[in-house]
Amino acid sequence: MTNAGAISRRMAIGALAAGGLGFAAFGPRGGKERSDGRLVLDYWEKWTGHEGAAMQAVVDTFNASQSRLFVRYLVTNSIHQKALVAILGGAPPDVLGMYAFNVPSYSEANAVMPLDELAPRAGLSLEMYASGMRPIMTYGGRWYATTNTAGTLAMYWNKALFRERGIEGPPRTIADLDAAHAALTRTRPDGTLERAGFLHMEPGWWSWIWGYFFGGTLYDPATDTARADSPEFVRAYEWMQSYPRGLGLDRVERFRSGFGPYGTPQSAFLTGEVAMVVQGPWMANLINAFAPELDYGVAPMPVEASLYDEARPVTCIDTDVLMIPRGAKNPEASMEFIAYTQRQENVEKLATAHCKGSPMAAVSEAFLAGHPNRGVRLHTAMASSPRAFVAPSTPVWPEFKDVFDTSMQDLWKLAEPAAERLPKVQATASKLLADAAGLRRRRGEA
Amino acid sequence: MKARETTAGLLWSSPWIVGFSAFLLVPLALSLWYSFTDYPLLKPPVYVGLANYKALLNDARFWLVVKNTAIYAALVIPLCTILALALAAALATPRLRLARFFTAIIFLPTLVPMMATAMIWLWLYNARYGLINNILAAVGLPGPNWLENPAFAMPALVLTALWGVGQMVVVYIAAINEVPAALYEAAMLDGMGPVRRFWNVTVPMISPAILFNVITLTIGSMQAFVMPYVLFRNERGQRAAGDLYNLYLYDNAFVYQKFGHASAMAWMQLLVVLALTGLMMLAGRKLVYYRRGK
Repeated sequence: MTNAGAISRRMAIGALAAGGLGFAAFGPRGGKERSDGRLVLDYWEKWTGHEGAAMQAVVDTFNASQSRLFVRYLVTNSIHQKALVAILGGAPPDVLGMYAFNVPSYSEANAVMPLDELAPRAGLSLEMYASGMRPIMTYGGRWYATTNTAGTLAMYWNKALFRERGIEGPPRTIADLDAAHAALTRTRPDGTLERAGFLHMEPGWWSWIWGYFFGGTLYDPATDTARADSPEFVRAYEWMQSYPRGLGLDRVERFRSGFGPYGTPQSAFLTGEVAMVVQGPWMANLINAFAPELDYGVAPMPVEASLYDEARPVTCIDTDVLMIPRGAKNPEASMEFIAYTQRQENVEKLATAHCKGSPMAAVSEAFLAGHPNRGVRLHTAMASSPRAFVAPSTPVWPEFKDVFDTSMQDLWKLAEPAAERLPKVQATASKLLADAAGLRRRRGEA
Repeated sequence: MKARETTAGLLWSSPWIVGFSAFLLVPLALSLWYSFTDYPLLKPPVYVGLANYKALLNDARFWLVVKNTAIYAALVIPLCTILALALAAALATPRLRLARFFTAIIFLPTLVPMMATAMIWLWLYNARYGLINNILAAVGLPGPNWLENPAFAMPALVLTALWGVGQMVVVYIAAINEVPAALYEAAMLDGMGPVRRFWNVTVPMISPAILFNVITLTIGSMQAFVMPYVLFRNERGQRAAGDLYNLYLYDNAFVYQKFGHASAMAWMQLLVVLALTGLMMLAGRKLVYYRRGK
């Protein structure tokens, strides 16, 4: 049976074939060469907004500086998930902008290229970086990542509120911090909190760091063991629990629930609802944008009295990294671009725009003098402190951290004493590490 | 002729067959294989037998998410069903003024992207500035700390599910409108009041729609993801109380790079959903009334 209006099989097949040919001829492709003969490098990065624009400016100057390579800056959200899929599918970008915590898992899986030979050929050496940055850039004794900026954590304190309460200078020890907190905390006549001196959960991004300020360490890379239940960590989290206990848990939780999110003018430090917060150098960007009148100071996070050493502050380094994924079409070209971003002038230009510190060992006076963060000298110096620490360098860290985050919330909510909860965290973390080691052995890896 | 028709049929449906095979059947089979492997995504999978399943059964967080998801489903399924039925019964009442307007209002939230809805709830639940606590304060009641007090985290999550009953309401209204008027007339002649008419006439007559909605609700509540993710994964949320099955599955796959664990979780979930659906279909044979023709 035929129908004049019906599509014949021949027509249908023809249409499908024409569509296929059209797609093949004009469809999307991973073109690696421009019409001017320049090799195209795809650079995936998570930075957007002003941070993205600053990196784009570095990319633009690189593209203008030579005529062989052309870098395409591609903003990629959920970059970890997309990078996994791209590397797995054999179609990775040429340069990957990731988080520090990605370095161990990507390195161990051989998903990124070691830079031990590539980087020196491009004029880079590990010694060019501040000592505190190097553990982030390396894994298992090999060099896998570079970094454009440094995020050392420090205490931001509201000078006006300190003056109002007659407190001189920022706290140096935990006892000083407790005293300042008590003096700065203010209650309304109806009993609700109007202001808190310090709250560990504001912003609550680094739940695992407090033990370090009591002399502890969460992970020993030499033995691949966790130390979450060390006496130092127990002391630190008992100290943390003294805050909701002293303020009244429900009262402080109600108070916290009204804080605006980070990145808004309603965030607690900007509104003066919290007088001291532990934050990275990027905090000054927020202050400059939303509360330029805020008179703030930057100091190292206080430590237990016996640990105080002005020349060797304790700080956590949290930063972003650049890596070359395994399967990148031209690793030498990728490295050439990365090396360009690591030049002092480019690092300092980017770090200034991002309001972060420089990761390099050598820093120019112009950078320090012109930086939007008045505490940049401290932030930069802390990157070279022998007591700077980074997140545990193990592939199981994301899961370990989740365990810690959940426990931290329970501890903050006084669900269990620290001395009872931390051994459980330790047991879970030890099992995670042991399981990962077992799987490595099963795979025949070292 | 028959063979040619079969070939033509296969040819025309080939895009779907290819798509179904490439994007569902093959991934399904692969995920079953992965569930028996250690597969950190960036390394090739290595067979580990039942190790992933055993590890999950000995994992405290696995049992926490199972418990939370079971509680969530046990609360959401009956509450949503009762609320949707009540709203549908009210809106299907003959001569109700502005019935279509109210139906549209109730349906509207289901058109809002889940992420946007979740952000709205995040602010509604704010203990200091949230609308809910401000209303409670206006009538002299103390508002709880919804998202951070573990006792209120689950009720808060369940409440958000009720917000999305619009789709069920529309299905129920359509089903109620299909109930023959003669049955109601006969019931009225027998002296039945509105409640008995609803219970003895409406509910049995729309029971296929109820079964359909309960099955989809069961599947949906066991796979809840966006709302708990937004409400409880910010720095101030109560993670443990709002930790549901799919959140842990996602973490295993894309945060911890334990694709073997994630695949094992997915298959366990599939088997449980299949078993529950089978049980409901089985119960439906006795409890659901299907009209034959008109």
